[in-house]
Amino acid sequence: MGKKLLLKNIDIPGISSYEVYRREGGYKSVEKVLAEKNPEAVVEEVKKSGLRGRGGAGFPTGMKWSFLAKPEGVPRYLVCNADESEPGTFKDRYLMEHIPHLLVEGMITSSYALGANKSFIYIRGEYFYVLRILEKAIKEAYDNGWLGKNIKGSGFDHDLYVQIGAGAYICGEETALLESLEGNRGNPRIKPPFPAVAGLYGCPTVVNNVETIAAVVPIINDGGEAYAAIGVERSTGTKLISASGHIKKPGVYEIELGLPVEEFIFSDEYCGGIINGRKLKAVVAGGSSVPVLPAELILKTAAGTPRIMTYESLADGGFATGTMLGSGGFIVMDETASVLRNLHTFARFYHHESCGQCSPCREGTRWMDQILSNILKGNGKMKDIELLWDIQGNIEGKTICPLGDAAAWPVASAIRHFRKEFEEFIENPAAVKDVKHYYSVNNISEA
Amino acid sequence: MNQTAYINDVAYTIEPGETMLSFIRKHIGKSHVPTLCDAPNLDPFGACRVCCVDVALTPGGNMKTMASCHTPVIANSYIYTENDRIQKLRKNIVELVLTDHPLDCLTCEVNGNCELQTVAAKVGIRDVRYPEGKNHLHTPKDRSHAYMTSDLSKCINCGRCVRACDEVQGELILSFAGRGFDSHIVKGFDQSFAESDCVSCGACAQACPTSAISDIFESKSINFTEKTRTVCTYCGVGCNLDVATINGKVKSIQAPYDAEVNIGHTCLKGRYAFSFYNHGDRLRSPLIKRNGRFEEVSWDEAYDYIADKLTAIKAQYGPDAIGAISSARCTNEENYLMQKFIRAVIGTNNVDSCARVCHSPTAIGMQKTFGTGAATNSIEELEDTHCMMVIGANPTSAHPVTGSKIKQQAMRGKTLIVIDPRRTDLAKYAHYHLQLRPGTNVALLNMMLYYIIAEGLEAKEFIDKRTEGYDEFRTQVLNIDLSKMEEITGVDRALVKKAAIAYATAPLAMSFHGLGVTEHFQGTYAVMQIADLAMITGNIGKKGCGVNPLRGQNNVQGAADMGAQPYQGAGYLDVTDPEIHKRYEAFYGAKLPMHEGYKIPEMYDAALEGKFKALWLIGEDIVQTEPNTNKVKASLEQLDLLVVQEIFMTETASFADVILPAATFLEKSGTFTNGERRIQRVNQVVKPLEGTKPDGQIIVEIMNRMGYAQPDYHPDTMLQEISQIVPFFKGVKWNELGINGKQWPVKEDGTDTRILHTETFTRGKGKFRFKDFTETEEITTYGKQYPYILTTNRELEHYNAGTMTRRTNNAIILSDDYLLINPNDAVKHAINNGDMVCIESPRGKVDVKARVTDEVKPGILSTTFHFPEVMINIVTSDVHDEHAKCPEYKVVSVNIRKSKGKYKVT
Ligand SMILES: Cc1cc2nc3c(=O)[nH]c(=O)nc-3n(C[C@H](O)[C@H](O)[C@H](O)COP(=O)(O)O)c2cc1C
Ligand code: SF4
Ligand code: SF4
Ligand code: SF4
Ligand code: SF4
Ligand code: FES
Repeated sequence: MGKKLLLKNIDIPGISSYEVYRREGGYKSVEKVLAEKNPEAVVEEVKKSGLRGRGGAGFPTGMKWSFLAKPEGVPRYLVCNADESEPGTFKDRYLMEHIPHLLVEGMITSSYALGANKSFIYIRGEYFYVLRILEKAIKEAYDNGWLGKNIKGSGFDHDLYVQIGAGAYICGEETALLESLEGNRGNPRIKPPFPAVAGLYGCPTVVNNVETIAAVVPIINDGGEAYAAIGVERSTGTKLISASGHIKKPGVYEIELGLPVEEFIFSDEYCGGIINGRKLKAVVAGGSSVPVLPAELILKTAAGTPRIMTYESLADGGFATGTMLGSGGFIVMDETASVLRNLHTFARFYHHESCGQCSPCREGTRWMDQILSNILKGNGKMKDIELLWDIQGNIEGKTICPLGDAAAWPVASAIRHFRKEFEEFIENPAAVKDVKHYYSVNNISEA
Repeated sequence: MNQTAYINDVAYTIEPGETMLSFIRKHIGKSHVPTLCDAPNLDPFGACRVCCVDVALTPGGNMKTMASCHTPVIANSYIYTENDRIQKLRKNIVELVLTDHPLDCLTCEVNGNCELQTVAAKVGIRDVRYPEGKNHLHTPKDRSHAYMTSDLSKCINCGRCVRACDEVQGELILSFAGRGFDSHIVKGFDQSFAESDCVSCGACAQACPTSAISDIFESKSINFTEKTRTVCTYCGVGCNLDVATINGKVKSIQAPYDAEVNIGHTCLKGRYAFSFYNHGDRLRSPLIKRNGRFEEVSWDEAYDYIADKLTAIKAQYGPDAIGAISSARCTNEENYLMQKFIRAVIGTNNVDSCARVCHSPTAIGMQKTFGTGAATNSIEELEDTHCMMVIGANPTSAHPVTGSKIKQQAMRGKTLIVIDPRRTDLAKYAHYHLQLRPGTNVALLNMMLYYIIAEGLEAKEFIDKRTEGYDEFRTQVLNIDLSKMEEITGVDRALVKKAAIAYATAPLAMSFHGLGVTEHFQGTYAVMQIADLAMITGNIGKKGCGVNPLRGQNNVQGAADMGAQPYQGAGYLDVTDPEIHKRYEAFYGAKLPMHEGYKIPEMYDAALEGKFKALWLIGEDIVQTEPNTNKVKASLEQLDLLVVQEIFMTETASFADVILPAATFLEKSGTFTNGERRIQRVNQVVKPLEGTKPDGQIIVEIMNRMGYAQPDYHPDTMLQEISQIVPFFKGVKWNELGINGKQWPVKEDGTDTRILHTETFTRGKGKFRFKDFTETEEITTYGKQYPYILTTNRELEHYNAGTMTRRTNNAIILSDDYLLINPNDAVKHAINNGDMVCIESPRGKVDVKARVTDEVKPGILSTTFHFPEVMINIVTSDVHDEHAKCPEYKVVSVNIRKSKGKYKVT
C-alpha cells in the first residue's frame, strides 16, 4: 500500500465537515505556522519538500513562491486554480468535494508563507455544487477563527474568496484566470511580466493548483524532508491521478511518485487492468494535452527500461518516444478504441476552447478539427496528414499560452505513433464508417 | 556596461527593457520583421505571431521561437530573423489567416496600403492549401454611422481597433466577443457604430491594418495625389493632421504617428469635420450691403469702400472710434497683421480678440502671479505626473485628444481631482469630484488652500526661495470661514480636505483649467488661486507639474501673443509704457497712441454711447457667441461701418456693411500656437476657393490701400518681422519649425522651452495674493426672482457657434442644442426628456430641448450653444470678470417652465 497524504482520511464519515476534519488533526499546519511566526521558514520547508506544481507544468512550488516580488506597500495575492477543465482530469473536484477543509487550510498556510492577506479560489463554473461545499467550509473556517482579522490572536489577517468561472477551459491558464478574476475577458496575457511580478490587479501573485496547495498541509505538518523522502529523484511526494478509459476501476488514486506504470494500470490496488480482457492500445498519461503513447512506449521507454510514474520517466525520450505526467489525467485506450476518433474529440475541444487571440491557435485549432472531421467522414486525403503536421508545427511553441501546445501535441503524437491509422482511414473510408469493418480489419474481437 | 545581443550573428548594443522588435527595427530596418498586430501607438499584444524570430543562447545554438514584438531582448542572445524555419512559419501563419479572408484585394478600398497584403507579399504566399471551410466572409457591412464604417469579413482579429479604442481614446467601445475561431469584433453591446456610444475619433479605423474598420472617406486608401501635413483648426490641443488630396480636393485626414502633440490620434472634428471647406455656402465674393441687401462687388470696390469710410470716420471721430476683433482661429501672422493694421495704420489700441471671452483671465491671472500668461508645462508630461486636477474644464469634449490622455492616466490609477458643477466624463473616472455650485470657484479653491496650509503640507523651501507675500497670504487663508464656504460651494468640507491632501502630497501634480474657471465674475482671481496652489505645493518649474490652461480655440494663445489685446502689443509689451511705446513706433514707423484701447465688451458699450463707429471683425460670430445677444445686436446696429471677414454668412455677418470672403485653414499657410506654447506650421493644403483670400492677405491689401507699405502675406517673411519685435519669438524661423514646431520662448539660436519658470519666475518671485469670495451680481440681483442657475457647456461634436461643424456630418451625430436638467427639477415642472423648455432670464427667453440627467445637481441647468436656432446668449448676462472683462457665461440666473411652443427664434 502506498502512502497517502491527501486522501488518507477520505473514508472517514463526515470528513467534509469542520468538526470531523478538525478532530482528525485539521488546521494544525495553520497553528504551527502562526506559532512559529516565520513565513520564510514555511517557504523553505516547501522548497525542501521538492513539491512541484500539480496543475500540469510541474514547476517547483518553493521556487515559484520565492520568486514572488515583495515591493513595499503593494498587496500580494494567492490564487488557487480550481478551474480543472482538462479532459481526463477530475482529481481537484474529488479533493474539494470530499475534503474541502484541506484546501482551505492549505490556502491559509500558504498565504501566511507568502504574506498575502487576501486569497482567491477560482473554481470551474460546472463545479457549482462544489462551490457550495467550499463556501460552507470557508464559512466554518471564519466561524472558528481560522479566517478573518487577527487569526487566533496572531496578528495575521486573511480573507478567502471563491469565484466561479463561466465555462471556459482557457480560464485555467493562469493569466487568463487572473483576467477573468478581474472581470475581464479570459484572454491569456503576454509574458513577461509574470504573475509573480504583476499578477492580479497588477500586484505580485502566486497561482497554484488545488492539489499543490493541499500538499502544503502535510509538508508543514510532517516537514519537507519527510515529504521529499517519498518518490524518486525530483519527483517527490504523492500525486493524485485521475484514471479513466477502458480500465476496470476508473477513479482518483493517490500514488507515491515512482510507481511503475504497469503496476498502476494492471494491479488491483489501482486501475485493475483493461476491461473485458482486451489488449492495451494506447495511453494519454497526463490529461488531454500530452502526447499519446502506444502500449509498448507507455510501459517501457524506448531504451527498454520500465516507465514509472514520475515527471522524468514519463518524459524520457522527449516527444519522439515519451510524454508527460501533466495534470495526472490518465486515459487508457484498449484495442477497440480509435486513436483518431479520440484525437478528433480532443481537437474539437481545443477548437472550441481556444481564446482566439493568436492567429496560429485560432485558425489552426479550427483547421485541425475540420481536417480530422473530414477524414473521419471518409473524405480524407493523404496530403491532409502533412497539412495537419504543418499546422501543429505552426502552433507549438509559437503562441501566447500553452493551450496552443496542448492542441498541437496530441495531433503530433498521433501522427507520429499512429500514422498507420490515419492512412487506413484515408485509404479505406468504409473502415471509418463501419466500426465492425474496422474491428475486423484490425483483428479486434468484439466482446 | 553596455549589453549586447546579436541579430543574425552581428552584435549590437541593447537598451534596457527594449523588445526584440524595436531592437531589430532600430538596427536592421523598420520593415525587416513583418508584423500584423503591432502598431506604433499601442502596447504590444502578441496576437498575430508573424513577428516570430528564433532565439539561441549560443551562435546557431538551440533555437526557441519567440514573438519579437513583446519579448524583451535577452542579453548575449542570438536572434535569427529570417532562417528557413522562421520564414516557413510566417508563411504558414499568414496562409492560415488568409483562409478566412476574402481574396478580393483588387476591389478593396485599401488595396496597395493593406498591411495584410504587404505582409502576405513579403512572406511569399502564392496559394492557399486549405479546402473550403467555415469562415466569416459573409459578415454584413456596417454603414450606419455618419463617419465610421466596418466590413468585418476583412477582419483578421489583430485587436488593434480594440486596443486603439481602449488605450488611445479610452472609450472602450470595441471588444472581442466569442471564443477561438468564433471570436469577432463587436461595438458596444453588439450594436452598429451608430447605435453604440462611439465618439467617432477614428482611432480604430486608423489602427486597423485592413479595411475591416474604416471611414466614409476611405482614409487608408492610396487613392490620393498628395499628402500635406498641417494643424487642426478646432481647438488649442493643436493636433497635426495628414491631409490627403486628390487633384486639389481634400479626400481624407489621418493623424501622423510622429506628431508629438497627438501621436496618431485626433478627435472627430480634426479627422472628419473638414467638409465645410468647400461647402456650397462658402462666401465667394466680397459683398457690400446696399439698401439692406448684399451685392457682390470686386475686391477693389470693397477695399475702396472700406478705406473711404474708415478715413472719413477717423477724420470725423478720431481713430478711437474704430476698432477690430481679431480671430483666434487665424494664424499668428494674421493676428499680428491685424493688430498692426489697427495700431499703425488706424492709430488706436482698440484691438481685441475672442481670447477676451475665454482665457483672458488666465493671461492676466498668471501674469500677475508668475509673470507669463501661458501654460507652464507640456501635455506629454501627463506620463510623468502623479496627480491631475481638472478645474472647470471638460476636456473629453472640448479638448478631446488631451481629454483622452488624462482619462488614460486616470484609468491607469493616477489620482484625478475634478472640480466641476457637472458630472463630466472625466468626473466619472475621478477619485475626487468636487461638484460645486457654479460661480463659487474662489470659495472652493480657498478651502483647498486652507487645508493644505492647516495640514502643514506647504512646500516650505519652494515658498521661501521662489515666492513673496506668503506670510500675509497664509494668515488670510487661515481666516476664511470654512462653514460659510462649505455652504456657498455646496461641497462637503471633508471631501475638499481629502482632495487638497491628495494634490499636496502627490510628488508631482498637474492642474488643468478651462472656461469654467475663467468665464466668471471672479475668473482672474480663480486663476491666481490655481497658480497659488501650484506654488504652495512647489508644483512649478519641473517636469510633470504646473498650471496648464486648456486653451479653447486653436490659436487663442497666439492671438494674445501677437498683441491682439488693447493694453499689450505684440509680445505682451505694455502699450502705455513710454520706452516700449517708442520701440513700437520706431518698429512700425508710425505714430501710435499711448493709452489702452477698448476691450470687446467696452466696444459694445461705446457703440451704444455713440463713441465707437467702425468695427472690423475676423471670423467670429459674435451675435451667437457673445453674451447678451440683444445688446450685441443693438450695438452693431449703431455702427457706421461693420466689416466682417468670414467664410460663411453668419448671424453676425448679416449685420455687416462689407463682407470679405476669407480662406479656411486648409487654404493658407502660417503658424498656430497651441495651448502648450507650441508654434506649429500650418501648411496650405489646397488653393483658396475661387473668390476668397487668406485673411492675412486681405489685411495686407487694405493696409496698402490705406497708404501703409506692407509686403504680401507670407509666413516666412511675416515671422522674420515678428521675431524682431516679439521677444519670445526671437529664434522662430519658418523653415526651422520642423514637423513638431517649437515651444516659446525660442532663443535666438532656435532652442525652445518645454517648461517655464524652472529657475526663476518671469516676474522674479512668484506672488501670493489672497482673494476673497464675492458673490456675482447676477445672483445677488436676480437670484431670488430667477432661482435656477444656468451654466454653459460644449459638446464634442461641435465647435463653438458650429459655423463649420454644422456643415459637416457632425450635425448628423448631434443635431440640436439641449438643456441638462436634474430629474427632481424636471418632475417639478412636468418636463420629460425631449420636451422643449422655456428658459427665461432678466435679458430674455429661449426654448431648448430637455435632457433629463443627474449629471447636474438640482437647481443647476446646463446648455450647449452650438446652434443658431436656440441663441442661448439671449439669456446670458452682462456681468464680466473685473480684470479681464471676460463675460460670465457660466452663471446665469434663470427660471424655467415647460414650453408651449416649438422652436422660438428671436
Ligand atoms: C489552457 C490551460 C488550462 C489550464 N488549466 C489548468 C487548470 O484547470 N488547473 C490548474 O491547476 N492549472 C491549469 N493550467 C496550468 C496553469 O496555467 C498554471 O500553470 C497552474 O495553475 C500553476 O499551478 P501549479 O504550479 O500549482 O501547478 C492550465 C494551463 C493552460 C495552458
Ligand atoms: S494559444 Fe490559443 S488559447 Fe492561448 S492565447 Fe493564443 S489563442 Fe488564446
Ligand atoms: S471611432 Fe474611436 S470611439 Fe469609436 S470605436 Fe473607434 S476608437 Fe472607439
Ligand atoms: S477590425 Fe481591423 S483592427 Fe480590428 S481586429 Fe479586425 S483587422 Fe484588427
Ligand atoms: S483635439 Fe482639438 S486639435 Fe485635436 S483634432 Fe480634436 S479639435 Fe483638433
Ligand atoms: S506583431 Fe508580434 S505577435 Fe503580432
